[in-house]
Amino acid sequence: MIIAARKLTKYFEIKGVKNAFIRAVDDVDIEIKEGEIVGLVGESGSGKSTLGRLLIRLIDPTSGEILYNIPDDELEEYDIALENNDEKAAKKIADKYSITRLKGEDLRRFRRNVGIVFQDPYSSLDPRWKIEDIIAEPIIETKAMKPEEAKKRVEELLDEVELPREFKNRFPHELSGGQRQRVALARGIATFPKLVILDEPTSALDVSVQAEILELLRSLRKKYNMAMLFITHNISVVSYMSDRIFVMYAGKIMEKGYKNDVIKDPQHPYTIALISAVPQIKRTMQRIILKGDPPNLLNLPKGCRFHPRCPVALPVCGWTANELKPTLEFLIETKYFTEFPNVSIEIKGERELIVNNADPEKLRQVVNAEKENARVLLSIKEIASNGNSSIIRLHEYKTPKLYKLSNSREVYCLLFDPTIKERFKQP
Amino acid sequence: MMENRKHDSSPIVKIENLHLHYYTRRGIYKALNGVNLEIRRGEVLGVAGESGCGKSTLGRAIMGIIPRNAAIVEGKILVDGVDYLKPLREYFKKAKKFKPTKNQDLLKKVNEEMSKIRGQKISMVFQEPMTTLNPLLTVGYQISEVLFYHNPGLLASRRLARARATKEDTKNIVKILKEEGEGERLRQYLKNRNIMGLEDQIISIWRRKELHDLKKEQMILELCCEPISSMARGYLEQIEKTNSLPKFSKLPIVGRIVKRELLKEAFKKSAEFLGLLGIPDPDKVVYMYPHELSGGQRQRIVITTAMINNPNLVILDEPTSALDVTIQAQILELVKELKEKINSTYMFISHDLSVLSEVSDRIAIMYAGQVVEVGPKSAIFNSPKHPYTQMLMEAIPTIEAHELKGIKGEVPDMRNPPKGCMFYPRCPYAMPICKEKRPPLFKVGEDHYVACYLYGGEKK
Amino acid sequence: MSAQKTAKEDKHRELKLSMEVFFSNKSAVAGLVIFLFYFFDAIILQFFPQVMPFKHPYSLTPNYVNPIPLPPSKKFPFGTTYPGVNLLTAIIKSIRLDFWLSLAVVVPGAFLGVIIGIVATYFGGLVDEVLMRITDIVFSIPYLVLAIAIGYVLGRTLDSMMIALILVWWPLYARYARSVTLEVKEITFIEAARAAGSSKMKIMFRHILPNSLPPVFVQMSLDLGTIMLTISALAFIGFLPAANLPELGYLTSLGYNYVETAPWAMIIPGMFIVLFALAVNLMGDGFRDVIDPRRRSAL
Ligand SMILES: Nc1ncnc2c1ncn2[C@@H]1O[C@H](COP(=O)(O)OP(=O)(O)O)[C@@H](O)[C@H]1O
Ligand SMILES: Nc1ncnc2c1ncn2[C@@H]1O[C@H](COP(=O)(O)OP(=O)(O)O)[C@@H](O)[C@H]1O
Ligand code: SF4
Ligand code: SF4
Ligand SMILES: [Mg+2]
Ligand SMILES: [Mg+2]
Repeated sequence: MIIAARKLTKYFEIKGVKNAFIRAVDDVDIEIKEGEIVGLVGESGSGKSTLGRLLIRLIDPTSGEILYNIPDDELEEYDIALENNDEKAAKKIADKYSITRLKGEDLRRFRRNVGIVFQDPYSSLDPRWKIEDIIAEPIIETKAMKPEEAKKRVEELLDEVELPREFKNRFPHELSGGQRQRVALARGIATFPKLVILDEPTSALDVSVQAEILELLRSLRKKYNMAMLFITHNISVVSYMSDRIFVMYAGKIMEKGYKNDVIKDPQHPYTIALISAVPQIKRTMQRIILKGDPPNLLNLPKGCRFHPRCPVALPVCGWTANELKPTLEFLIETKYFTEFPNVSIEIKGERELIVNNADPEKLRQVVNAEKENARVLLSIKEIASNGNSSIIRLHEYKTPKLYKLSNSREVYCLLFDPTIKERFKQP
Repeated sequence: MMENRKHDSSPIVKIENLHLHYYTRRGIYKALNGVNLEIRRGEVLGVAGESGCGKSTLGRAIMGIIPRNAAIVEGKILVDGVDYLKPLREYFKKAKKFKPTKNQDLLKKVNEEMSKIRGQKISMVFQEPMTTLNPLLTVGYQISEVLFYHNPGLLASRRLARARATKEDTKNIVKILKEEGEGERLRQYLKNRNIMGLEDQIISIWRRKELHDLKKEQMILELCCEPISSMARGYLEQIEKTNSLPKFSKLPIVGRIVKRELLKEAFKKSAEFLGLLGIPDPDKVVYMYPHELSGGQRQRIVITTAMINNPNLVILDEPTSALDVTIQAQILELVKELKEKINSTYMFISHDLSVLSEVSDRIAIMYAGQVVEVGPKSAIFNSPKHPYTQMLMEAIPTIEAHELKGIKGEVPDMRNPPKGCMFYPRCPYAMPICKEKRPPLFKVGEDHYVACYLYGGEKK
Repeated sequence: MSAQKTAKEDKHRELKLSMEVFFSNKSAVAGLVIFLFYFFDAIILQFFPQVMPFKHPYSLTPNYVNPIPLPPSKKFPFGTTYPGVNLLTAIIKSIRLDFWLSLAVVVPGAFLGVIIGIVATYFGGLVDEVLMRITDIVFSIPYLVLAIAIGYVLGRTLDSMMIALILVWWPLYARYARSVTLEVKEITFIEAARAAGSSKMKIMFRHILPNSLPPVFVQMSLDLGTIMLTISALAFIGFLPAANLPELGYLTSLGYNYVETAPWAMIIPGMFIVLFALAVNLMGDGFRDVIDPRRRSAL
């Protein structure tokens, strides 16, 4: 593996607020093989850029390990050590390959092996620098070549990205968006890196330019055999570019697998919705419209963080009394107001509610009638009577993990948890 | 709600050979170079093209919201047959040297003229989603303002209807609804009793799915006998009749009462309207500030604001481009719903052809300030004719991966565009004539036009 | 090679565009013209005093025979001030001193401030905290108090006045530079430079500094006027080392005693102070237009 991350986590602190963290990347495992293009898709704010920056140490992780250039068997050993909580063995391997503690000259040497291209071609090039100096910067700063050689390399790189050599004397503002992105690309691959992070390299470009840049990227990959992490929110682009796909949602990987598997046969409910949401000229798929918005990273939903929007959420996906209360209130006040006069609802705990002045039997009927429309009602485990009122108890929730299917396919969803599957068979 | 408009066969907007140039220190940007296009009543016209090809400029020109450095060099835009930009064009013809300050004076006049139809007959949703809502005002207030200034008659008639209606009336209404639904008989009844203002209130309650029928009945029964101060009543009746606001400064105390009644009514109507478009908790949302809403919700509110006066034409300028796919899907769904529920005409601008394919009836492809191809959606997607359209289709990535082909070369510098066909420098089929003369639109199929010499003219 | 040519042309075009933007701002041009008068006055007297018909270019020439101020006349176009000093020549001489003094305060003050501001922003955290607290403390000292204190310690010389002013002036730039660099630091090309392996020093001086300088330069040009006002104020309250040093504030104070009988003796030198402040302000506004991308492309 050219790079592998384990339990990688990045929490951003909020200035002036104690104990409030933006959980941008939350316990992520990712690995990229030599020469492989890995696509990372997800909505904006899901932590894709943060993950990309972590992998090349542009920012430091809160916790977790990043291993560079680690042979597959040793990574396997490392994983086993992690699983067995064998800290000593894990540390031994980590010390050999970890980049999380690199400093000074070592870090600089590492920089030579990685490159990055950013989304916005207008802000990623210093307006006061000539194109030549921009492209040569990584070569000179990482001491990859001598300054004289760097000059020649710049011309070579300009050829490589199909720009005229004369451009080296120009300034960024004299170039169009597509041309600038080519310059950024030339800079990204200037030191013959083994891994390039492409952070939405075409999102700011027009489709006709995007197509050309994508083509160029593919041919460069072929030539240099470098690994790429292709970050984008556009699943169609990923489907064109990558060998493998990681789907990210609210700081976590939801699904990973080979491109064809994920695109043709998505398993995670979020992936399914994401693919179906893409506008298509010839629609073949029933569109699933997700309700609501991605969650606030400061205060994530319990259990599976996708559950408030999940169209097939299970009773144990993370529902709490806080989520149930407004739904019940709404139903009681509108549709069923005739049957429940003077009702009030109190939260007794994360998994317990009291409905005052309500008959449990009637409540049960309402829940049964409405659970198809509001999945939160599924989370009700029992409705007991308590004098004049009813006590509602919820199922205990479970937090999913990445469940291995086959062929290096993994899905973060309780639907694939064998014990859960037993308990809640879906029709 | 669904007022049946007369079906007029003339297009709502007709753009003829429009040339619009921006004068700047860096040169004259020829943003529009002879646009010919019509927007027909009741259709959704999709306008596609790469950034900088003049889509927003075209949309804004229809609305008459162009900056002062924009010169109308030639051509006209007929909105319901009226050529609003005429003074600007005439100024440009006369002027030896184009002066933005002069242009601005005339623009002011055009603006005054157009403000009568803006927000009421035509409205626009702008590209920048964050800047359209005022962060200091509640969402409800911002929608209400539009209603208050452009449609006070409706508000007055709603309020008066609730004052005029008697218990007997609402009982009868419920009875009619139960027997025949919201049909002609209901309208007739409301008309006879002079309480037409109740119609949209009743319907918006009756259509709510999540309410128990009894609850709906109860709510409808409450739409009556709401007392009103006798001072305000006269003014409200006057507003109802003329659909224009009196000078409030002239009636200090009564003015305040009337204004409050109208604004309160506008809040009610806003919440109703938001609810009708499937925005959850509309009664709370109207009291929220924009920053309390997510990007998707905000965009929905913006679209709602544009739709609230039942405009004949709505121009949507990239309403989904800044949003994530899942949110974009929500907005597209909203637009489809609007299309069904509100009988209006839409101009939907987007750089993304696949977005347009979801919503449009007809599609116009723009390149370098010109419409190069226009036709029914199926024709554009199934048999694109213009080389640019064809190449564009091949550049769009799709879920089922296909080989992508970019378009070589760059968009022309609009300060110095090619003399002939705009696409000439990048076109693989270019012929000698293409370099010399701009191709006009040739008919290539049923309602399908293409500006390319491959399909007509003095082809060799 | 044709591309190289266009690159050169492009550079010229940008320069031409900058000029065009500046010159389209009429008041900025007026400011520039006035500024140039002061500028040439200062240059000529400083470096080529022999071309001027002054026996003592760097001091006032009093005339105790007729010390009472005389009104403007053919011989004395601006009149005279106490003690019999020809106001026109006195003002010409004063401008030199004031101009260089202002520059001597602004340039090192800005230099110091920008360095501190940039270091503070780039290192952030504790360094930023400490530097900015120091800045705040210095900022809160009134310049008059500091000037008097330094004058007391070092003696009342021009140098001590300058030192005092520089010491109170840099925090202004430190704060301003910090706010500008904070903005520049967030632009992606800084991150790109880090990814390229550039050291913090290189990023600071090769990326952040060049991109922060234009707004600081605009601020400097605006400040020249304020500084001159301050220097004049110090001189006005008697903070000059020698009695016959030509300085506009001092000239104003000379005329102060005759305000009722000879108003010109105070008004005319005072006007020259205000005029300079006004001119550099207008000019600074023009520079601000030049670096504003919106202004550059609008008409
Ligand atoms: N430097 C930072 N400081 C604080 N929060 C940050 C920082 N960078 C990113 N974030 C937050 O982390 C989350 C994920 O951001 P990002 O990785 O940029 O997502 P994406 O690239 O998927 O859009 C966002 O909520 C963002 O606000
Ligand atoms: N206010 C303006 N002043 C000068 N040029 C402008 C102005 N607005 C737009 N333009 C130019 O006009 C052209 C068309 O712009 P626009 O209509 O916004 O295109 P689109 O919406 O298709 O991206 C662009 O080249 C743009 O730079
Ligand atoms: S665990 Fe699976 S089913 Fe449950 S909410 Fe998450 S994605 Fe949906
Ligand atoms: S007119 Fe000529 S240059 Fe233009 S698109 Fe047609 S063939 Fe190509
Ligand atoms: Mg990102
Ligand atoms: Mg636009």
